[in-house]
Amino acid sequence: MDATITAHMPGLVARVVVDEGDQVVRGQEVAVINCMKAELSVESNVDGKVKEILVKEWDEMEVGSPMLVVESA
Amino acid sequence: MINKVLIANRGEIVRRVLRACGDLGLRTVAVYSDADAGASYTRQAEEALRLGEANPVKSYLNLEALVGAIQQSKADAVHPGYGFLSENAAFAEAVEGAGAVWVGPPASVLRAIESKCFCRDIATKVGVPVVPGSTEVLATVDDVLDVAQRLNYPILLKLDRGGGGKGIEKVERPEQVEEVFQRVQRIGTMAFGNPDVYVEEVIGEPRHIEVQFLADHHGNVVCLGERECSIQRRHQKIIEESPSPVVSAQQRQQLTDYATKLARGMGYVGAGTMEFLRSGSGNFYFMEVNARLQVEHPVSEYVTGHDIVQWQLRIAGGDRLSFSQADVQLEGHSIEARCYAEEPGTFRPSPGTIRGIRFPTTGRHLRVDHALEVGAVVPPYYDPLIAKVISWDATRERAIERLAAGLSQFSILGLATSVPVNLLILSSQAYRTGDLHTGFLDELFAEHIDWSMYEPKMFVGES
Repeated sequence: MDATITAHMPGLVARVVVDEGDQVVRGQEVAVINCMKAELSVESNVDGKVKEILVKEWDEMEVGSPMLVVESA
Repeated sequence: MINKVLIANRGEIVRRVLRACGDLGLRTVAVYSDADAGASYTRQAEEALRLGEANPVKSYLNLEALVGAIQQSKADAVHPGYGFLSENAAFAEAVEGAGAVWVGPPASVLRAIESKCFCRDIATKVGVPVVPGSTEVLATVDDVLDVAQRLNYPILLKLDRGGGGKGIEKVERPEQVEEVFQRVQRIGTMAFGNPDVYVEEVIGEPRHIEVQFLADHHGNVVCLGERECSIQRRHQKIIEESPSPVVSAQQRQQLTDYATKLARGMGYVGAGTMEFLRSGSGNFYFMEVNARLQVEHPVSEYVTGHDIVQWQLRIAGGDRLSFSQADVQLEGHSIEARCYAEEPGTFRPSPGTIRGIRFPTTGRHLRVDHALEVGAVVPPYYDPLIAKVISWDATRERAIERLAAGLSQFSILGLATSVPVNLLILSSQAYRTGDLHTGFLDELFAEHIDWSMYEPKMFVGES
């Protein structure tokens, strides 16, 4: 099953902290969004393997924008 | 002489500069990113030009787009506001290169004062105390240990060309120097492209006191009193006031003398601020110069009666200061509360669309600087500051009452604001007695707070 991790706050992508193929666990930080100069952590909501990264640094995010896909175990 | 001013910024400060331009009969140009298209000030200015995408690197930090806007509008002066490129020497040079006047200190001064050690060295030469430490960059761990030998631990390792509180680390014991030194150098290289580090002693119970000054092209320097900015959260100021409750008339004279000497020593022209730390034992130390208009300038305007933004524009146009230090008298007390689009308590950012606003009544005792209107979008891409509420009255106690009354009439629907935090600070016993320090908020927030007491209300009596 694939799970799409989405932005929980609007802003700019500050960085993606995982690579495609990385194993992640639920609650692990996978990306950071810069919202009004504050850095907010985006966490995976599933255990699994990062299948696809959909964003890059400086991309504009709205609430619900897809950020990456995790193939859950 | 200048005729047409391009304001290279966004939000409330654009409206503030527009007002000063209006007072002086100057023509105006606003600029905007896609996220700010349609903002109130873009309609208030005589012209408005698009810079680029929402991302500040593509718009408000985009030199090429800004120079293009200067050329297209034929503006002959640029006011940079605060933040963004306001203290950027390359932008000041680009403005001059485009044939416009830079409303700020000369590019050469901006370039020199980027180095904290340069400023500390100037201060030492003109007889102004600095926090004990080095006045030059330290190249090796041994150099640091050498200097630290004559200091008291804990010490701070700081970046010579840092900013925003980044790359400042405390060292408790000599054994830790090596590890911290390398870490700070790394942060410097990554964040600022420069690894230079110097050392300072830690000042206990610091209060943040700064002196506003104006310097013209004819060698005149005048100080407009001090501001106290000790209520901060993670280097973000929240409440500022003038005068400071702890600065005596004699100390004010001393600080004025220090700031004047520093401005002359740096060859400064324009409006600026000299920042000082006051230790728990009452000593003042020069920290740094802010080479721009500051967010909190209104409190100095209220107590001195001088319009700092008008003076910035007049000085840039070659005018001579029309008053001397002896003419500056501080009258009464002024306090500014910064309103951020943030959830109170958590300080989580709260961008959004404004669905309703109720403003307090403004006049002799209350001023609100903002660029808000119903339907306006507060975008997630920039600083969370959305408004400043500033009060004035004859005494500090009465200024607090005025500000609290104003803030409780100030409601915004559609996003969360820090107005409740401001009200909480103003109502605290510690604030009222003037017991301020930079750890003030942590102490205040240690207690449980019922934020529902501060829900915004659109109408008096609404429940």
